[in-house]
Amino acid sequence: MTIFTRLEQWEQRGVISPEQHTLLAGLSRSEPFSLFLELNVLLYAGILAFVAGLGWTATAWSRQLGDVLVLTVLSGLLAACFWYCFSRAPAWSPGETPSPNLAFDYVVYLGSLIWSVELAYLEDRFHLLSGQWDLYLLATAGLFFFLAYRFDNRFVLSLALSSLAGWFGLTISHWPSHQDVAYRQYAILYSVMVGGAGAALQRRGLKSHFFATYLNIAANVLFWALLSGVFNRVGDFVWPLCLLAACGASLAWGLARRQFPFVAYAAVYGYVGVSSILLRDMNSGTAVLTYFVFTGVAMLVMLVLIARRFGREA
Amino acid sequence: MRAYTASSEEALRARDLLKDWAGEGFLSEAQYHRMEQESVCDLRRTNIFLRIVLFLFTLIVVGAAVALFFLLFLPRTATQTSGIFLLIFAAMCYLSAEAAVAQARLYRYGIEEALAACSVGFLCAGIQAAFFSGHLYSSAPDRAEFLVPAAGVIASLWIWHRFGLPYAYLAAMIFVVWLPGFWTSSPSAQHAIVAAFYAVGLFTVAAVRPRHRLTYLNNRYSIAEALLWLGIYLAINLQLSPADLFGQWGALRTGSEFSRPFYWATWALTWCLPPLVLARGLRRKDRFVIAAGAVVAILTLVTNKPYLGWQRHTWDPMLLGVLLIGVALFIRRWLAGGPGEIRYGFTARRLSGKDKQWMNAGAAALGLISPHPIAPSPQTGSPGAHFGGGDSGGGGASSDY
Repeated sequence: MTIFTRLEQWEQRGVISPEQHTLLAGLSRSEPFSLFLELNVLLYAGILAFVAGLGWTATAWSRQLGDVLVLTVLSGLLAACFWYCFSRAPAWSPGETPSPNLAFDYVVYLGSLIWSVELAYLEDRFHLLSGQWDLYLLATAGLFFFLAYRFDNRFVLSLALSSLAGWFGLTISHWPSHQDVAYRQYAILYSVMVGGAGAALQRRGLKSHFFATYLNIAANVLFWALLSGVFNRVGDFVWPLCLLAACGASLAWGLARRQFPFVAYAAVYGYVGVSSILLRDMNSGTAVLTYFVFTGVAMLVMLVLIARRFGREA
Repeated sequence: MRAYTASSEEALRARDLLKDWAGEGFLSEAQYHRMEQESVCDLRRTNIFLRIVLFLFTLIVVGAAVALFFLLFLPRTATQTSGIFLLIFAAMCYLSAEAAVAQARLYRYGIEEALAACSVGFLCAGIQAAFFSGHLYSSAPDRAEFLVPAAGVIASLWIWHRFGLPYAYLAAMIFVVWLPGFWTSSPSAQHAIVAAFYAVGLFTVAAVRPRHRLTYLNNRYSIAEALLWLGIYLAINLQLSPADLFGQWGALRTGSEFSRPFYWATWALTWCLPPLVLARGLRRKDRFVIAAGAVVAILTLVTNKPYLGWQRHTWDPMLLGVLLIGVALFIRRWLAGGPGEIRYGFTARRLSGKDKQWMNAGAAALGLISPHPIAPSPQTGSPGAHFGGGDSGGGGASSDY
């Protein structure tokens, strides 16, 4: 029975109105056909290409064009983007705010990227902060967080989170020694901070739909840091125990909230970490392969049970 | 011939559409639940994340089990014997996939997909080892060795037809790339043969599709057709050919290895194909073909200068960006000017809840991989910091952690 037959039956039995039947049957036949996704992808690709060309041209032609001209053009574009955004933006609301039009989100995104290009150009040419890139990253992260929350923009939120991560990393790079250990610890601090901030903002009802972005980034950074500790054999039990605890928490969260990416993180990161510990001193090929067969089957059984109990679709 | 009945697939399609419509507010909560209950189906599905993880672990188990078998029971056996056993494993994997569908009623569950993928891999490796192992290190490969990729093509097409896995069709197209290397050493002929194979596939799909326009199969044929258009384009565009990915036709296309008429004919074709694909996609309102048309149009613009031997300029990406943004805004404005924001059956409005989900997930992920000029490497904390570093990847997040 095709969808059209089903719709007819539902209409005859009064489950849907004749108007709904007409609308839904039309949608099933792609009438009208929505180009919403395609237009968004075109805008995104266009902005990426534009900013890439802008940065490339500013770098390659700065001496010929002169700093004044380059900075005037960049500042003009930046001012135009932000003027457009602030003049067209709907009133701020702590909840999810729909964009006033298709291009709006991309103008915010374009402005943010041009800001990065201009700041990088300024530092490269004039060394205003004597190469203190971490300060630029911190300031940029702050600006991007403001823009993301003001204009309800996920693109810019991700830029803000990556700028903040860059600030953490760059700050540590100034330190003289033990960088691996420091990176690991600060990666954990970053993920705890980002996850905690996301949770706090969600609890306060401030753009709570951003929480998933915070949590996904925090979880991945945390798992990478813990795995690096496990691989480097730093401390015998601390990192494996932390990894297991993180996997348990991720699994519990994923199942409780039906957030299946977190179930997948727990399964994959946990399996990689535990396998690296158990296979560390295993030299026999037969033992290694036997390990993979049995643990793989065990993981499959567990995942199928989870999928049947929690993750069913359809 | 297909692993799933048409009624089951139609029921799944109905459920997906209902979810979409409910997400967009075209159905009330009560209507959605009632209609969903009346679209039940016995197939077991899971969400995309568990599907991917199940696929990975099935690959691990099957790969390790086969390797363990060879290590324990056939440690020093001849390659031909190993080939025979690989063929047996291919059959076992395929039968397991069939059993997973028939008995456990798995549908896009990861497990049956990995088993089917393994069956194709073992089949090709088995044929190579069983029948052509003597030619592995030979400078002149056996011409009959084309049977290996040919078997890959046939098996992948069968998996696509039987289980409806879209990437099996892509696998078949990739196997086709290897075929002409066994028949001719001429790069031009190799490109032409691959394009001809894809063209035959395209005509076949185009001939079969109209019968299934309003059924669940339309989506499957739509993906196949889009892949074939992309394949034909990549085969004829000598500046970026999929074959280069596999190192068969060399890494760089200079034009000197092709005859001038062939080279310029392919250049002309790279300009003819995008409007053709776009027109077909728009006429049929086919999302995947429209996407393929847009991709090949952009690729034509990007590769035109290298094709003509012209110098690239730093502002070329800016012009491309302005063009793309301009086209998107013009189309949106033009569509919005129509009655009910619809012109010729097209609209720029969002009509599917799925589009919103894609946009949200895409925005968060793409924001992370955006170019981020303020991302010098950690060593560049000095005044001589390199502007323009970190041209991609998480604003330094990836490099610093």
